[in-house]
Amino acid sequence: MYLWKAWHDCRARIGLYILASVSIGVLCGLEAVTWANWHTYWMTLYRPPRAVGPRSVFLNYDFYMDITFSMLYRAVLQYGQIGVLLAGLSLGASSTGREYGAGTMNFVLTRPAPRENFVLTDWTVGLTAMVIIVSGLAFPLLPCLCLIHAKGPGNVLAGLPALWVLGAAIYGLSHFTTLVAGSASKGLTLSVATVLTYSFLPTALYEWWHTDALLRATEWTLRGLAYGSWPLSPFDWSVTAFWLAVAAGFLGASVAWIRFREV
Amino acid sequence: MNDLAIHTQGLAKFFGKTRAVDGLDLKVPRGSVYGFLGRNGAGKTTTVKTLLGLLRPTAGSAQVLGYDIRRDLVAILERTGFVPENKMLFDSLTPAQLVRFNQGYFPKWSGELAGRYAELFEIPMQVPFAKLSLGNKTKVCHLLALCQGADLLILDEPSIGLDPVITDLLLRVLVEDQVSEGKTVFLSSHQLTEVERIADWVGIIEKGKILLETRLEDIRQNYRLIRAAAETAPAVSSPDLVAEQSSENFRSYLVAREAEDFAAMLSAKGMTILEISPVSLGEVFLGLTRKEVPCISGKPGTIAAPV
Repeated sequence: MYLWKAWHDCRARIGLYILASVSIGVLCGLEAVTWANWHTYWMTLYRPPRAVGPRSVFLNYDFYMDITFSMLYRAVLQYGQIGVLLAGLSLGASSTGREYGAGTMNFVLTRPAPRENFVLTDWTVGLTAMVIIVSGLAFPLLPCLCLIHAKGPGNVLAGLPALWVLGAAIYGLSHFTTLVAGSASKGLTLSVATVLTYSFLPTALYEWWHTDALLRATEWTLRGLAYGSWPLSPFDWSVTAFWLAVAAGFLGASVAWIRFREV
Repeated sequence: MNDLAIHTQGLAKFFGKTRAVDGLDLKVPRGSVYGFLGRNGAGKTTTVKTLLGLLRPTAGSAQVLGYDIRRDLVAILERTGFVPENKMLFDSLTPAQLVRFNQGYFPKWSGELAGRYAELFEIPMQVPFAKLSLGNKTKVCHLLALCQGADLLILDEPSIGLDPVITDLLLRVLVEDQVSEGKTVFLSSHQLTEVERIADWVGIIEKGKILLETRLEDIRQNYRLIRAAAETAPAVSSPDLVAEQSSENFRSYLVAREAEDFAAMLSAKGMTILEISPVSLGEVFLGLTRKEVPCISGKPGTIAAPV
């Protein structure tokens, strides 16, 4: 019923996102293989016959592969963040809230079902789409990573849940603002404004008043997602839990809002 | 079982200082066609939305099909077919897809009936809703409401965009297919001719208050318009007096019953009785709600009496 309608409305968009994310994943994979081959070539060419001491460390094959892996991992997470940001904003803005603006909320809310069902259905479709999109980004990369590095894809896989949870939080933001604003465009505008404020306000405060508390807080919320420290620690429970709480908060707010909202 | 399909007691809905519905008492008998009449902004749509849980009442109580609107909303919606005023459904879906969407919500949905009504109303079932004309959009809204096996149909301005042929067909469908099966039709409209054709009961609302609630047959049999002339009109009062209007030396009195007795009372007070005539629903409606202000130009003119 409403699940079918929600899927019907966003299936074309989801298809487009999957295509984009798989393309990015394939490009990252090709880049990984090229990068690895390039290093292998140069190390084969210049490796001294009896390398000992610090030089052997500098030209160590595994060391280079770790760097390669790290860069790839960061690339995946950074592309992934952009991907989940765009997908989350867009999918959230095409949820139940836009029915107000379209004039169809009367019809939706006079179907015999508890109002929160409509929000939960939105979330089911939105989060499923998010999982597919994030997976579409990562899985083309996995064979390439297995090919070039003994560590395999473990770290990248470990990073996916964090990315997915971040996407859920962004979806929640966009879903809630669309519900409150009562239109897709207004909801999207509010969401983008929130994301931009979150991204730039801490830096601005630091630059203008040298207050770095907010900056450190926002950096913490993106730890492990933006720039993994060396050695890699891709999965951060506390950060993932934070975004999970944010997503759950938005879900609760949306449910409360639709329960009490008048049409 | 409660004999009333809709029963409101002191129902009120305020938007800030605006009293859209102000202490409304409605009694809609089961199995009847109830015409809920009012001018634009009288509170008809607000009442309908409140009954269906789209708005929360500020005060008062209401039961629909015996269920409380605050506690048992899903039960009410399962048994109520609703055609909204704006006739907006999902633009991206075709009527056939809308039928598929809707049927999942209603256990008593009749697919066979949907096919028959689609044919009867000549609805293009494979064209996206956004591309349909207003008339066809209205037909789709009716189709969805009629096929869900509802005990109560709440139709808000049901004939918007419909041509006279389809309007006639719709009215027949409501009476022959729905009311004959014991279902109740609540018709919120200001199309008096349509209401007068099929309604058993009428309620007239103005500024959120019910001015009149009676059987249409009662209006036909007992209500009378008394036209009288006098240099100076005496003050009259009677429980039977519904409305009165004046124009220069002429006065019109709309009385609910005992018109002869009322006319005799006017004569006794020195007025000359010109005419005692039966009234139409339109005359009752105008008698209760007409604005006694001149038009902008102030030029004299004549329009036909309301039907």
